[in-house]
Amino acid sequence: MSRRPSWRRAALWLVLLTAPGAWVNAAEAPTVAAAAPTVPGSAPAAAAAATAVDANGQLEDRALQARFEDITKQLRCLVCQNESIADSNAELAGDLRRQVTEMLVAGKSDDAIFHYMTDRYGEFVRFNPPLEPKTLLIWGAPFFMLLLGAFIVFRIARQRSRMPLDDEPSTESR
Amino acid sequence: MWKFLLPFAAFVALAVLFAFGLNPSRDIHALPSPLIGKPAPEFALTDLLDPEHSVSNKALDGQVYVLNVWATWCVPCREEHEALLAISQQHVVPIIGLNWKDQRERAQQWLQQLGNPYQSVAFDGDGRVAIDWGVYGAPETYLVDGHGRVIYKFISPMTQQVWDSEFMPRIEAARRGGA
Repeated sequence: MSRRPSWRRAALWLVLLTAPGAWVNAAEAPTVAAAAPTVPGSAPAAAAAATAVDANGQLEDRALQARFEDITKQLRCLVCQNESIADSNAELAGDLRRQVTEMLVAGKSDDAIFHYMTDRYGEFVRFNPPLEPKTLLIWGAPFFMLLLGAFIVFRIARQRSRMPLDDEPSTESR
Repeated sequence: MWKFLLPFAAFVALAVLFAFGLNPSRDIHALPSPLIGKPAPEFALTDLLDPEHSVSNKALDGQVYVLNVWATWCVPCREEHEALLAISQQHVVPIIGLNWKDQRERAQQWLQQLGNPYQSVAFDGDGRVAIDWGVYGAPETYLVDGHGRVIYKFISPMTQQVWDSEFMPRIEAARRGGA
């Protein structure tokens, strides 16, 4: 009786082990479109700026502070590339946080802030790139891996169902 | 057939991936600049050496120039300084300095002690202009053509070799381009 080629079993395990993890990662990331409420424009920026930040460095407007935390978590610190600018102590991260604060106080939308950053630092600055033709590969890869895994499982299952059981009399000559 | 083709295809795919991914001469921290081909962000800052005067890249319109981002706290900037001095002696293009998040006095001392390769140095104490240029580490060196477009960005200490192989051909092409 032929044994299943070991490479195929290895490939199956590889796909089964990696695909769900990658997919969960992609799914866990909040979609940007949902997290980007547009802000009614023309906030009284000058008046707000004077009282915007309290003694703890938090924006006094709770809604703005929440958006600040959300945005800075999604922007990559370019100095220490696996930290967000919310977490990083790098000088540049501080400058970028200041920039985000100022833009929020000036009444800019989340989209406008992300655009400002990608115009200067490229898509790499976003931990959560938007779904576009050029990002299709990174968003689609986990699903592709899942399909590939399902296909391999299907192939193996079908092959196995064709195999004679050991206690069954076989017509095949050994 | 599949039995042999599939693992072989997987091997080739991995080999190509690793050839790019594990190439030791690739700087994993060097990011492509989205600024390439776009108009250079304008700035007007105070002159490092003379705070009464301002330095603006508007004055360089129509010229090919180099913008070098540096600071006294930046160790590799010290490393590239001699190369910059030598390059400035060749008088090919104006080299403008952007002194990034530095202390004015220390930066002035640095230039006095080590020599000044710059035609002028803009003092960007709070780092706002640097954000506009997408600076994320020093030293960085930008090349701007006669139409005011950024055509090249080099991240790492400048050397004469890099200047000759990466900058000179682009400068010559930019000048031939009628700029």
